[in-house]
Amino acid sequence: MDTHAIIDDYINNVAAKLPRKQRNDIGFELRSLLTEQVRSAALTAGRSPDGEMTVEVLRHFGRPDEVAARYAPRGFQLIQSEFVPLVLKLAAICIAIQWAVTLPLVFSARLTFGEWWLHWGFSAFAWCGVLVLWFAAASWVQRRFPIDPDTNARPAVHWLFWIPFPTDWRPGEPEATRRRAALGAAPIGAVLTILLIAPAWILGHLLPAAVNTSWASYDPDFQRWLLPPLLVLMAVRLMLFGAVTLVERWRAPTEAVRFGLWVCFVALLCWALFGWRIFAYPLTELLFKAWLPFYLLINAVQIVLWIRRAATRVPEIIQKR
Amino acid sequence: MVKVNDEAVAKLDTELRRGALVLAVLSQLRTAQYGYSLRQALAQRGMPIEEGTLYPLLRRLEEQGVLASEWRINDGPPRRYYKLNPRGIRLLAELTANWHALVATMSQLLD
Repeated sequence: MDTHAIIDDYINNVAAKLPRKQRNDIGFELRSLLTEQVRSAALTAGRSPDGEMTVEVLRHFGRPDEVAARYAPRGFQLIQSEFVPLVLKLAAICIAIQWAVTLPLVFSARLTFGEWWLHWGFSAFAWCGVLVLWFAAASWVQRRFPIDPDTNARPAVHWLFWIPFPTDWRPGEPEATRRRAALGAAPIGAVLTILLIAPAWILGHLLPAAVNTSWASYDPDFQRWLLPPLLVLMAVRLMLFGAVTLVERWRAPTEAVRFGLWVCFVALLCWALFGWRIFAYPLTELLFKAWLPFYLLINAVQIVLWIRRAATRVPEIIQKR
Repeated sequence: MVKVNDEAVAKLDTELRRGALVLAVLSQLRTAQYGYSLRQALAQRGMPIEEGTLYPLLRRLEEQGVLASEWRINDGPPRRYYKLNPRGIRLLAELTANWHALVATMSQLLD
């Protein structure tokens, strides 16, 4: 893993724990300073900077949550600043769960919407208070009984109000992982794309002549109107994956194109699910449409995570050397 | 026992230096410096500061309105340079006077 990728990974970890307004500004500066420090460490050691040296410099600089906390405003904090995003996230999840569990009462006509809102809808916001109290208590306990700086031992009382305790930072391997994923996905994608052009026809040629493959035939309307753009999208995504395996890393423009193609592909599949008959054979149609929502749900979650990562990622202001 | 005393002295020394940190940083920012060069300048003059302490301090001083900063691209990568602004120059003068007075007082107390 190259030094820039490790520094970027570290900075993105710090940035994710910073207030949105400060994120890019501090991220840019940290990137510049840490790059300088790694270069200086390399000069001192009399060799080129490498991954191991970079990780050492970053470990010495501090855990991402500690670094983010140093940039937080001084003064009393009800909740440690690095935990604010987590509190907001947990509050949103709790509210969403309470609404998701209780809203069916309205759809099944056991409650009117007004009754639901008074009993369940509005009260879900109480989770915000519960979480703030919990994290405030945990912050107070951690301030009152700090970790022993010499032994790094955590006082047992910290477990009374448990909140995620920070762990040592280790560099992720996003680029290497993506490259491996791209290499693995490309042949599978190629086979799938070819198979999806005309599954009944291809299977008819691959399987013994006695086997009937009409169950894999598309509905004629789907085949004529929706299949071509789906295949084009799949082919372009495949070419992009191939291109990425040839270059060093995903750059912002290729990431944006990849994301755009992905969203278009998922959107088209959603449309196919709800608006089109895909397979002519009823059982194939039933089975495929039973599987497709799970596939789309997984993709939707991945898209949300991708957007979240992109929102907290510190952009590059300079071309990397 | 000796070890405990050494640790206690080291902690008190750190506390002492921490009190002078802002003045030390301001003193070096009469000319524009970026974080890393400032840290080196301070270390060369016998005031080593952990980078994790220095960089957030620079931003805090800027937020307090005593430093001005700008990004510069010279022959290397882009760097954020900090420099005293007029309010920072006044603050440095005041803190310097206070420091000299404190040193004089302490000298009297210690002699």
